[in-house]
Amino acid sequence: MRLRAAALAAWLAGAAPALGHDARALPPLDYEPPAPGTYTLHRIMAAPDGEVLGLDGRPQPLRRFTRDRITLLGLIYTTCIDPEGCPLATRVFDAVRQAVGDDPALRNQVRLVTLSFDPARDTPAAMRGYAGHRATADGARVPWYFLTTRSPATLAPLLDGFGQDVRSVPPDPARGTPRELSHVLKVFLIDRAGLVREIYDSTFLHPRTVLNDIHTLLKDR
Amino acid sequence: MIRSGSLRSIALGLTLALTWTLGVHVAWADETCNSPYIAKLIKGQEDYVYVWTLGVEGVGDGSDKLVTIDVNPTSKTYGKVLGSVSVGVRGEAHHMGFTDDRRFLWAGGLAEPKIYVFDIATDPAAPKLVKTIGDMAERSGYLGPHTYYALPGRMLVQALSNTKDKGGVTGMVLYNNKGEYLSAYPMPTDGGGDGYGYDLAVNPRKNVLLTSSFTGYANYMRPLGDLVKDAEAMKKFGATMVAWDLKAMKPTTVFSVPGAPLEIRWSLKSGDNWAITAAALTSKLWLIRPDKAGRWQAKEVATIGDPAKIPLPVDISITNDGKGLWVNTFMDGTTRYFDLSNPEAPKQTYDKVTGKQVNMISQSWDGKRVYITSSLLANWDKAGDDNEQFLRAFAWDGKALTPAFEVDFTREKLGRAHHMKLGSKALKSP
Repeated sequence: MRLRAAALAAWLAGAAPALGHDARALPPLDYEPPAPGTYTLHRIMAAPDGEVLGLDGRPQPLRRFTRDRITLLGLIYTTCIDPEGCPLATRVFDAVRQAVGDDPALRNQVRLVTLSFDPARDTPAAMRGYAGHRATADGARVPWYFLTTRSPATLAPLLDGFGQDVRSVPPDPARGTPRELSHVLKVFLIDRAGLVREIYDSTFLHPRTVLNDIHTLLKDR
Repeated sequence: MIRSGSLRSIALGLTLALTWTLGVHVAWADETCNSPYIAKLIKGQEDYVYVWTLGVEGVGDGSDKLVTIDVNPTSKTYGKVLGSVSVGVRGEAHHMGFTDDRRFLWAGGLAEPKIYVFDIATDPAAPKLVKTIGDMAERSGYLGPHTYYALPGRMLVQALSNTKDKGGVTGMVLYNNKGEYLSAYPMPTDGGGDGYGYDLAVNPRKNVLLTSSFTGYANYMRPLGDLVKDAEAMKKFGATMVAWDLKAMKPTTVFSVPGAPLEIRWSLKSGDNWAITAAALTSKLWLIRPDKAGRWQAKEVATIGDPAKIPLPVDISITNDGKGLWVNTFMDGTTRYFDLSNPEAPKQTYDKVTGKQVNMISQSWDGKRVYITSSLLANWDKAGDDNEQFLRAFAWDGKALTPAFEVDFTREKLGRAHHMKLGSKALKSP
């Protein structure tokens, strides 16, 4: 455990995500989390299913991305500029992917999913641009899928199922702000059976706690 | 119901131990006291105050109801009741809490294990009852849901009692945001714990959950005049606080805090690492913070009024910079302001009689507007002319409270005004 934490801390200090994503190092966790397996991750709810689009634009069921591996799924929109919002999720995902890939006990057990809730702007092409080098193939040690939806109608049941609020805020010429999608950042840890076992918001989301929870799920088989 | 005069004489004649009975409750109310997991704090002008109101037999429909009041000074209906949603029963309406996304308001009564979920996003001016959660007692054995504290995608509910003996030994219940039961957590009865519960509040940066303690159904539903004469019942009030590992939901430290510690407020100032509470029956402020070795400690730091006169601090509200604390004392109807610049030594700098009985106090994020309600518990409120039932709004300029408007809940046929939450039309969401 100490080695993993040390490796993660070292990576966090030098992490440099690419393609315009926030490259600042994440702050260290301000407490010592409980050891993996010493606490319970409740079966909070079933992850919803519905049609999503991959980077190739092909429709697929979301369940293909929420079963059989432990899944860390974040709901975002690519033009979000709130540093405590979507960019934070991507920074944490970067750190988690690095740590999982470096840990033989975790690699091939975990996938990452970034799902947009802005189908109007986040087309598969836009998602490809956002993902950059992060997008990986199925066979990767830590696959990271970037998904969107065809329309608000196909998105709606997914938002409802995850309990994700999204409220459109019109552009404000006076302040020079573009149209924004107000939302509470939510990242979901989903077990192999497709059950949500933890939900992180911006105050809760940190690579150390996520990795602890992944280890806890692995002990929970 | 006892009359106010006799209540006062009874109370003043009691020993300090006996006065524990009066340990009122009430809870966290305002914009500065919401769960840190609620992202959409209203930092400008609020449009509405939602008041969770106890039904009174013969007043209106007699049922508990959520009352919406227009509090925007630019509105044509400023200071007026916009509407109310009755839940159809009288169950000792008490406290409320927002879900993490602030789309829903959970509210409950202390007389029954039911939780009502109101949609406040579709039309913030007209909340709608969309769900009733009725399985808390069956699932957990707990009674009297009190504090509703948002966690990401979940709601942690602190109960006050249990269905077995209706005493004060109780616990917390965890639901997901859909209202589906997940788990229950008993308050500790070992290691110095008394098993009682009241409020809860989280410091996410430190992974610390703090809980406080009050009393059970058998006491809080009993007419106050009877209760204070029952020496055995008077012993059954909480005298502890508990620090928990939030992630693991396991108690780590039990603190001795005599006198029914009630609302818990963490300082919101960046870098601060302390919480404060008021013990109702001893009329003391307590500070909870780590010592130099990092061990959490509870320490008495101030006295509220003259404890011998039993002022009964029943609600507190902290400013967003952690520099000030409002304290309402029920018996003398007084609203007090404490300078918290040094949380180790709070100093009262202002007081004003704001009613014949006052209970909850809520402030806007900027601290410029302060709202006060009147009711404590149906069987503990004063009687006769002292039984004022109101919401009163004040402006605060840092020196004095100036009345802004008032809603008379009896004249409006609403009931007993209790817990408040603020609302905004800007949070309208499909």
